[in-house]
Amino acid sequence: MLQVKQASKIYEGKIAYRALTDINLTIDKGEFVGIMGPSGSGKTTLLNMIATIDEPTTGEILISGQNPHVLKKEKLAKFRRRELGFVFQDFNLLPTLTVEENIVLPLTLDGEKVREMKRRANDLAEKLGITHIMKKRTYEISGGQAQRAAVARAMIHSPKLLLADEPTGNLDSKSSKDVMEMLESINRNEKATMMLVTHDPQAASYCNRVVFIKDGKLYSEINRGDNRQAFFQKILDTLSLLGGDANDLSSVRV
Amino acid sequence: MTFRQFAFNNVIRNKRLYAAYFLSSMFTVMVFFAFAIFAFHPVMTSDSLTSGIGQHVSIGLLVSSGIIFVFSFFFVLYSMSSFLQSRKKEFGVLMIQGMSMRQIRMMVFLENMLIGLFATIGGIVLGLVFAKLILLTAENVLIIDNKLDFYFPLMAIIVTFISFNGLFLFISFLVSFVLRSEKLIVLLKGNKISKGEPKASALLTVVAAVLLTGGYYTALIVKKIGVLVAMVPVTIVVIIGTYLLFTQLSVYVIRRLKKRESLFWRKTNMILFSDLSYRMKDNARTFFMVAIISTVAFSAIGTLYGFQTLLTNGIKDMNPHTFSYKPPKTNKDTEQDVAFINDTLKERNIKTDKASAVLQYFDVDGHDMLIVKESDYNKFADLVGADHVKLEEGKAAAAEYDVKVGLEGEDDQPLPSSIPLATGQKLQADKTVRSKALSENSYYIVTDKDFAQLKKPKSENRFYAWQAKESDGMALVKAGEVLQKKLDRIYFAAVDYEVYDISKGYGPVLFVGLFIGIVFFVSAGSFLYFRLYTDLDDDKQKFKSIAKMGLTDRELHKVLNRQIGILFFAPIAVALVHGAVALTALSHAFQYNLFKESAMVLGVFFAIQVIYYFIVRFYYTKQIKAAI
Repeated sequence: MLQVKQASKIYEGKIAYRALTDINLTIDKGEFVGIMGPSGSGKTTLLNMIATIDEPTTGEILISGQNPHVLKKEKLAKFRRRELGFVFQDFNLLPTLTVEENIVLPLTLDGEKVREMKRRANDLAEKLGITHIMKKRTYEISGGQAQRAAVARAMIHSPKLLLADEPTGNLDSKSSKDVMEMLESINRNEKATMMLVTHDPQAASYCNRVVFIKDGKLYSEINRGDNRQAFFQKILDTLSLLGGDANDLSSVRV
Repeated sequence: MTFRQFAFNNVIRNKRLYAAYFLSSMFTVMVFFAFAIFAFHPVMTSDSLTSGIGQHVSIGLLVSSGIIFVFSFFFVLYSMSSFLQSRKKEFGVLMIQGMSMRQIRMMVFLENMLIGLFATIGGIVLGLVFAKLILLTAENVLIIDNKLDFYFPLMAIIVTFISFNGLFLFISFLVSFVLRSEKLIVLLKGNKISKGEPKASALLTVVAAVLLTGGYYTALIVKKIGVLVAMVPVTIVVIIGTYLLFTQLSVYVIRRLKKRESLFWRKTNMILFSDLSYRMKDNARTFFMVAIISTVAFSAIGTLYGFQTLLTNGIKDMNPHTFSYKPPKTNKDTEQDVAFINDTLKERNIKTDKASAVLQYFDVDGHDMLIVKESDYNKFADLVGADHVKLEEGKAAAAEYDVKVGLEGEDDQPLPSSIPLATGQKLQADKTVRSKALSENSYYIVTDKDFAQLKKPKSENRFYAWQAKESDGMALVKAGEVLQKKLDRIYFAAVDYEVYDISKGYGPVLFVGLFIGIVFFVSAGSFLYFRLYTDLDDDKQKFKSIAKMGLTDRELHKVLNRQIGILFFAPIAVALVHGAVALTALSHAFQYNLFKESAMVLGVFFAIQVIYYFIVRFYYTKQIKAAI
């Protein structure tokens, strides 16, 4: 599904900075992968490259065997719109639109029929439990609801790959749990391929597999197995080995 | 770093932020200064202009600079307040660092004085650069005997410098007083707190539509003197109607559009409309102001231009011949005068075609009517390039002057259709000729043979006409001047000189009117620019989010083009319609068709707005794209 081959990223400038070094990563169809690492380790750079917002200095990234970075700008925008779905830390919902309008926005840009858009939006809303807030504006709903609406927007066109950048970063622990459980169920029921970048070990514990990055290099990876609690403990252990700061271990939530 | 240094550095190192405010202030100063250069020009203040008609001119100039100054005041005030609006967050950050409201006021005051000082100096320097250009324009528009040479406008510099520094000082005081102490959280969150979507009341929407249609209808049906009576009430009604149009009707229409999902959910419409309705509250006031200011500019310039056309064309229409001399038969000096005219024309090397005749007035059914011979008529027809008339014996033609002035839609009583002859027979006037051959409203043409059979004429005039072959305007004017001084104005007419004379008196009025109109129009453009840039940060944020999801360049351009297009053309479209209605009413008042003049004035303004739109759009799109 997703193949990252020997990808490196160097930020040019007055002081050149090497953000990523020779990253190799493969995500299979239907997998739910988490990327973790301390601040400045290159997690978001990696995500941006996969999201086609940024491009690797060397190496290549293939999504379904296709290299989006060779596409022209116009095509690339359409590729993002049709093949990828995004969930952001700050939700990125437009305050001038209602929740429903926000959800269908990617489809309207593609000129989909209104009836079809409504059907899909309502289906998703029901699954995500946000039917009652569809007509509300973004400032009238809570953070958890906003993030669920954002997930609905990311899912509405059934993307090949769903990318989430710190989706729980702005949420309280209860909402974090709701959103992560929802992502997990989408992954299980819809067989959606997902990639998650997070600081939050609790959130990462919902993934099938967690990949750790340190100083722009792959550090290790661990698989979940059956027990989420045990997986959470393993994640914490790895993070402490990584030498992450104390605040990476949000022990309060355990 | 002292506090004063901080305030100065804040301005100097943040050039971009202050640029818009600085430029518009500088522009205002420049406009005023340019006007002052003109108003204080030695030629304009010389003795020849401070007496007689010139006195009116200098009073007019004084009043005009007053208007420009008052307008500058409001313009700078508006620019300042919209500039401060966009800096709420910055004030929040400063306050959280422990700056007191008093210190912020002090900072704003110092900043404003600094910007004001540089804007005044910059405006004066820029004005000096363009001074020659302005004087040249003035020289061409105005008809002044002396040349407006470039001079060092010390007086204009002093007046501009003092008055604008005073203005900025006053505004700085004013602004630092009105800068309300809002809650810190409100300042910090800035625009993130929703203002909510404006709602339209159905009643007021209907009122808006009724007021506008009522105002328009009244303006279009009233005629002649009625226009002056209706002017004030109609203006008030239309102003209120325009305000409601933008605050209510437009909101109502957009809300209706948003409800129609088949339209609202179509491609980029969603992004466009949602923002439009969201911002309508802020936009409405700007739109209203821009529409009214532009209407004033359009109407003022249209009126002045139309009035000038009316005056000069009136004279040209009433006098088809370059020179004409029409003394009564009793005038003893006729031969002498004609010889003098011929000599003068020869002296000045003006080649003309000549024609002369004796015009005889007869009694036709109680009317005093001019009847001319076919051959005489054709002589004059040749002169103005009109068609010959060919009549059969026993027939006559009624001729009417091909007028454009003052008689639109109004017909005199129909002429009697038969002319009695001395023999008792009657000539039938069975056709009508319209031409400019003779400057008489209506007369008859009969064949030379029938002419001899007419009864005795009641009165006789001699008529001489000269038509210049090649038109060297200035030579004709000069000759006209000489001749008109010598000959009786009742009998002698020289079109070119009369037109020149009127233009000369009217020129300053036209120039000042144009100047003020253009100032109004350009500042209306600046209001729109400020409105647009207040939303720049929001827009950057918005397009950044959408671009991450995938927005092609073409779609981005489409949304921005329309967004800026609506901002730039919605108020101007309203102003153009207002202006068109006002000028139509004006032409009803004058009873003169001003369509060409109105279309030209409105067209020129529209073209300028289009250019302005393209420039602003280019930079705005560039900034948004840089942010993505």
